[in-house]
Amino acid sequence: MSQTMPSARQRRLRTWIFWAVPVLLLLLPLATNPYTQFIANGMLVSVLVTLGFTLTIGNLGQLAFANTAFFGIGAYASAILAAKLGVPWLLTIPLAGAFGALGGFLASAAALRGIRSYYLAIITLAFGELMRWGYTHFSPLTGGTDGTPMPRETLFGISLTDDTLKFYVFLGVTVLLVKGTLNLLRSRFGRAVMAVRENEIATASLAIPTSRVILVTFMWSGFVVGCAGALFARHVGHVFPESFGMLHLIASFAMVLVGGLGSVLGSVLGAVLLTALPEYLRAFPGMEELFFGLIVAGVLVLMPMGLASLLRRLSPIFVERHYREAP
Amino acid sequence: MTLLDVNGLSVRFSGLTALDDVSFTLMQGNVRAVIGPNGAGKSTLFNAISGYVTPTSGTVFLNGAELTQLSPHEIAEQGVRRTFQNGGLFPALTVLENVLTGLHAQTEGSFLDILLGRSAALKSEADNIHRARELLKLMSMEHMADTRAGDLSGGQQRIVEIVRTVASDPPVLLLDEPAVGLSPVARDQMMEIIRRLAGEKGVGILLIEHAVELVMAAADRILVMAAGARIAEGTPDEIREDRAVLEAYLGHA
Repeated sequence: MSQTMPSARQRRLRTWIFWAVPVLLLLLPLATNPYTQFIANGMLVSVLVTLGFTLTIGNLGQLAFANTAFFGIGAYASAILAAKLGVPWLLTIPLAGAFGALGGFLASAAALRGIRSYYLAIITLAFGELMRWGYTHFSPLTGGTDGTPMPRETLFGISLTDDTLKFYVFLGVTVLLVKGTLNLLRSRFGRAVMAVRENEIATASLAIPTSRVILVTFMWSGFVVGCAGALFARHVGHVFPESFGMLHLIASFAMVLVGGLGSVLGSVLGAVLLTALPEYLRAFPGMEELFFGLIVAGVLVLMPMGLASLLRRLSPIFVERHYREAP
Repeated sequence: MTLLDVNGLSVRFSGLTALDDVSFTLMQGNVRAVIGPNGAGKSTLFNAISGYVTPTSGTVFLNGAELTQLSPHEIAEQGVRRTFQNGGLFPALTVLENVLTGLHAQTEGSFLDILLGRSAALKSEADNIHRARELLKLMSMEHMADTRAGDLSGGQQRIVEIVRTVASDPPVLLLDEPAVGLSPVARDQMMEIIRRLAGEKGVGILLIEHAVELVMAAADRILVMAAGARIAEGTPDEIREDRAVLEAYLGHA
């Protein structure tokens, strides 16, 4: 089957849409109340968490479940840097990303030692649980079960408890990281990542350093999710160990699958849908989990490649891979 | 001109000798076939040259530069590229994307250039796409550029794999049974491609092939192996007359 690639005109249109969405979102705070604004901020955090996850599990095809560990590392890095060392929160975002990348480095070390498939799944799950144990037990640094509160701080003269201000910062960070990830995926690097997933042995025969590709993918994934951790710390204002357990991992895995494995657009759709859904399901008290499960299962049965595949079928504009032909 | 110089190459796996002191040279523009019964060590020879198996002893040189202890991707970057017996295409990638992976090392731009979308990286990418399309055109495959590689016929997959392997203009090519499973027509086409790569572009080609009549027609020189060792070496005519070969491989005369 031939995949219909977007035409030059459709590619230009896609670029317009890409930038129009965040510009329109600048107006969102006009349409929200404090509660829905808080939910919208959470969506942006989830978009980045899902994006980082889909890179390693979808594009690179490694059964690695250390994503929530990267998230926790980023959140604690931000909180500790801000609370204990007085680093301005905005500056802790890239620093938390760097710590997340370090987590990615550790997870890739397992994969590069030849631990793959189910064994990689178990060892990365253990990594996540070990981190959670660390958050609870290294209380002088992390505050133990009491967690670490984010310090009071102002940005542009506005208190960082203001959800509208947070929204603009979150939006900026999200757009930058999504754009960077798209640039990576639409390059030789992105092709090499998928090539490793498809056939690692053949990939090496094409002068592609497969170990480096795996290492860099995990580190970029860790960076994105680490930055998300820093946003989350400010979003909730107080970092607790329980936020980074299995429940978070399963929820983000569901976002990856519902959106579509290995798709940037899918990460956005999955994160937005599954963050919004529980809010709508509050109308059915006692039945929320049932409906939530049914809807997730329904999407996956009808669209095994996720919501992004549905849009791709509608128009080639939504085909993410494209070739950068000479203009 | 000698491109590849393989000297006393041996591979032993815990007591089993898979490759036993094999030596030969490969000249520019020559096709050298490696034949032998199953288990003769042909694939081990390929794996040892391309770095997938570390030789126990012996050396491999390309244009005087030693390749012996390098990893597979380093050997490929030096200019020895290979195909795989079971097909090494990436099924979920398109034909064009598959060919582009063959140009990975030829693409400019660091990780940071790519991340930030700097023009150096974008220009190199566009140049390579142009080149990949030209290569596909040469094989009359340009209309297949956006097809998933996994949806091609077996013969088309073999051709795309070869296009991908030669995209970077490597001086040496190792082809592991490129004609296996192909129809007679596709087989002839494949042999024609191999002859052209050697004749027109001067590529040195090492070829594993089971179909004896093809080997006799396409190869300049033949290396015959059995039980990991070289048992004969020569031109197709010489091999046809060789006593050891007749006994060990072609059956009793």
